[in-house]
Amino acid sequence: MGSRTEVGVIGSAVFAPRDPGRMSLEEALHAVTKHALHDAGIGIDDIDGIVVAANDQLDGRAISIMAASGSVGGVGRDILSTPSGSEHAFVLASLRVRSGMYRTQLVVSWSPLEVDSISETQRLSNDPYYHRALPLDDLSSHALQANALEAKVPGLRAAAVQVTVTNRRHGALAYPEYAPAPREAVLIAGGKMLRWPITDAMVSQPAFAAVALVLASDEWISGRGNCKTAWVHGLGWATETAYLGDRDLSRLPSLQAAAAQAYQEAGVDAQAPKFDLAEVADATPYQELVALEGLGLCPRAQWVDAAQRDAFGRDGPTPTNLSGGALSFNPVFCTGLMRIAEAANQTRGCAGAHQLPGVKTAVAHGASGFAMQYNTVVVFGQHSRETTQ
Amino acid sequence: MKAPRVGIIGIGQSQFKARRSDANYPELVREAVTLAMGDSGRSLDEIEAVVYSLAPDALLGIGNAERLGVDAVGARNKRFMRINTGGSTGISSLAAAHSHIAAGACELVLVAGADKVGECGDSQTILNKIWDPTYERSLPLGTITMLAMSAIRYMHKYGMTQEDMARIVVKNRAHAALNPNAHLRAPTSIDEVMHSRMIAWPIKLFDACPQSSGGCAMVLASEDYIRRNGLEAVWITGVGHSSESYYIGDRMGIGYSADHADAQALGEACSRAYKMAGVTDPVRQIDTAELYSPFSNTEFHAIEAAGLAPLGQSPRMLREEGCFQIGGRNPVNPSGGVLCANAIAVTAMVRVAEAALQVWGRAGAHQVKGAQRAIASGNGGDHQFFGAMVVEA
Amino acid sequence: MELMTRIEKWNITYQHALGETASWFFAQIRDHQQIYGRRDPKSGRVLVPPRAFSDETLEATREWVAVGPEGSIECFTIVYEAFNNLPDPPYAFGYVLLKGADTAIGGFFRGLDLHDAAAAAARLAVGTPVITRFAEHRTGDVLDFWFELAP
Repeated sequence: MGSRTEVGVIGSAVFAPRDPGRMSLEEALHAVTKHALHDAGIGIDDIDGIVVAANDQLDGRAISIMAASGSVGGVGRDILSTPSGSEHAFVLASLRVRSGMYRTQLVVSWSPLEVDSISETQRLSNDPYYHRALPLDDLSSHALQANALEAKVPGLRAAAVQVTVTNRRHGALAYPEYAPAPREAVLIAGGKMLRWPITDAMVSQPAFAAVALVLASDEWISGRGNCKTAWVHGLGWATETAYLGDRDLSRLPSLQAAAAQAYQEAGVDAQAPKFDLAEVADATPYQELVALEGLGLCPRAQWVDAAQRDAFGRDGPTPTNLSGGALSFNPVFCTGLMRIAEAANQTRGCAGAHQLPGVKTAVAHGASGFAMQYNTVVVFGQHSRETTQ
Repeated sequence: MKAPRVGIIGIGQSQFKARRSDANYPELVREAVTLAMGDSGRSLDEIEAVVYSLAPDALLGIGNAERLGVDAVGARNKRFMRINTGGSTGISSLAAAHSHIAAGACELVLVAGADKVGECGDSQTILNKIWDPTYERSLPLGTITMLAMSAIRYMHKYGMTQEDMARIVVKNRAHAALNPNAHLRAPTSIDEVMHSRMIAWPIKLFDACPQSSGGCAMVLASEDYIRRNGLEAVWITGVGHSSESYYIGDRMGIGYSADHADAQALGEACSRAYKMAGVTDPVRQIDTAELYSPFSNTEFHAIEAAGLAPLGQSPRMLREEGCFQIGGRNPVNPSGGVLCANAIAVTAMVRVAEAALQVWGRAGAHQVKGAQRAIASGNGGDHQFFGAMVVEA
Repeated sequence: MELMTRIEKWNITYQHALGETASWFFAQIRDHQQIYGRRDPKSGRVLVPPRAFSDETLEATREWVAVGPEGSIECFTIVYEAFNNLPDPPYAFGYVLLKGADTAIGGFFRGLDLHDAAAAAARLAVGTPVITRFAEHRTGDVLDFWFELAP
């Protein structure tokens, strides 16, 4: 094929202060930017462009990129914003590096807690034509999806509880200071019902975080030498239709489409994909299961059994969400980018306490919107594709 | 490394109006998509990715309104993302789509969006909320007042008068009279502009853009796809973006790197686009320009940022040399520009669409004769984000 | 054919953290009627209003610098149109470069007759000296102060 530009993640940071009320949002974004640049071993002058992602209604700013721009190095620079999802910022930044027009990109997403009701802001996504009057926020949509799945898969509830137990165990290792949710199966199963069938113990309270990643081209990386890199082997992204009533909520064809794009690019066998670990969307445990199926890692016929055997645990055959996932630490809007960052860090060998030894390949999945409307898949590898060919 | 050329093979835009009571928001998007797909001669099934152009959700009154647009753009199970850089969203969306193709990830990408600004009763209230709550939200800042202040500084620096501003309105309305898609098409006079009611000194009603409803869509394709299918196209040969500080007060005072009177970051964006396109002498090499300018005064600093006039000289050049009009040197906004139609979510895309129509020889009554190369620009935020694109035959 | 509409209103409340820099700035205004800026060490510019870091250099700012109360007008506008949730017209506001500052801060211009637009605009011309006035009852907000033409 000829020398195609490869893209690698060379730095990342998560900024999640214990007391977010002490800093303004702009100061937090400045902090995460400095940390990510430092992790990548570069300065802002090395950044050719920036892609950010945030939600205006969550931020309380009618154009969220505006005041944030200066904090992330936007002055004098090319900066775009993808409010559709934090994962999309990663996608666009990757495309920009791959195009050969940019040597590097900085990706930043954030999720503040300054609004009085996150649920109400989410409800504003409903069209005013038919659905605005319904109590339809993200959690309600996830619950509708969970219901649809329970109707198709007998015994699913127990599997959901077990997935939660596993992720909380992982979270206790990865982010102990941020994972206050229950860990015992009996507590998770007996939690207070929020939206049938989702109990308060099956989800995690919204948290504040800002997440940043630094991407670079293979040419730039080889010029620098010595970058701990997670190479993007494959990228895929796709969307469902918006009206929940038009969808079969027990299926997620857009995730299959996204995985197909990513796997084809990465040279992964879509019939038998194998990775050292996966970081997938898990706003609820049902999401994790449907994600693993969509990625070809666990068909639904095996969900109940796999969960019972702790197959998705750190020591299992399909290690998933070693970070604890959103089930442990939930910075609402930027959870998708966090999954990508976590998978990248595992591949780079930079995941800290929850590093899985010897990670060569990892898959990340992020989802945004009601009942996982948008799905994004990233395949990472320890070596650039040129060297593995 | 020279980036591959990306082609434009289809263009669709609404006839912009104040209100579109006959269509809801997704229907407006669909209207533009249908026009663009028809223009391209390709089917929606072939589209591999969609980049959705949508500025503040609050203007539409629907959070993450792009989700509702998925079916309007035929994106079910396809690649889909939304861009928002305020007023420059349309051109930023095209830049994002350009990256999809230049990266080799896709061959056929649809960019689409719409706005229904005319239906929102409080657009200046919303546009006040773009300012930071820490220092400036309590002030009655809005897009009109912010750019009125730019006019004040430009007047102070270069001697522009309100009559100079009016001359831009007269020029653009005359152009819009020839453009069936424009919203405000009635020709006007300096006298009429000067007598229109004062909104925020020195910007008067006629100096200001309308609030328009309507959609725009464009189909982009790789050079390989275009060649294989024997299609006609025009080419995006240059893309550039840059930004200023969000703080208006930093663009004045002492030691500033950019003056609020000018549009320095727009100049940077244009330079980057020109460099990529190999344009070294814009006055000679750019046949026409569609420059984003929601108020009459801002067209002057946009013209200068695009390298079509030295700083501060464009009012005189318009007044004394008849530059920047169709039939004159370097015609600017032959469509009538943002001053004559402004559907915020797509206005900056319409600039590129109009530039493309010009170099394609398809601009009808508002065609600039022999146009082969054009520049288009978009502005967003508090005069903060700027995108530029060079389009060629 | 009957065409229907639906009325929707957005009513969302936020509690925005101002951070230490802005909080200290507002406390000085509230308690001492003094405006401060912060110096960007790389460019040397005293940024008013102050920020914890410069968006041009991304470096932390250092050193509080007291600025004003004298200043000069950098730009202004006078609003004659009513907009929802904004003050009743006419009113004038803009940006002022306070003595000791390198960037301008926004505020209202009060105490002059705005009814003759051209005359008022001439009196507010760029470079006009102004003086900062403080409200008797201050809460720690930019509306605690405004500018009047220097006597």
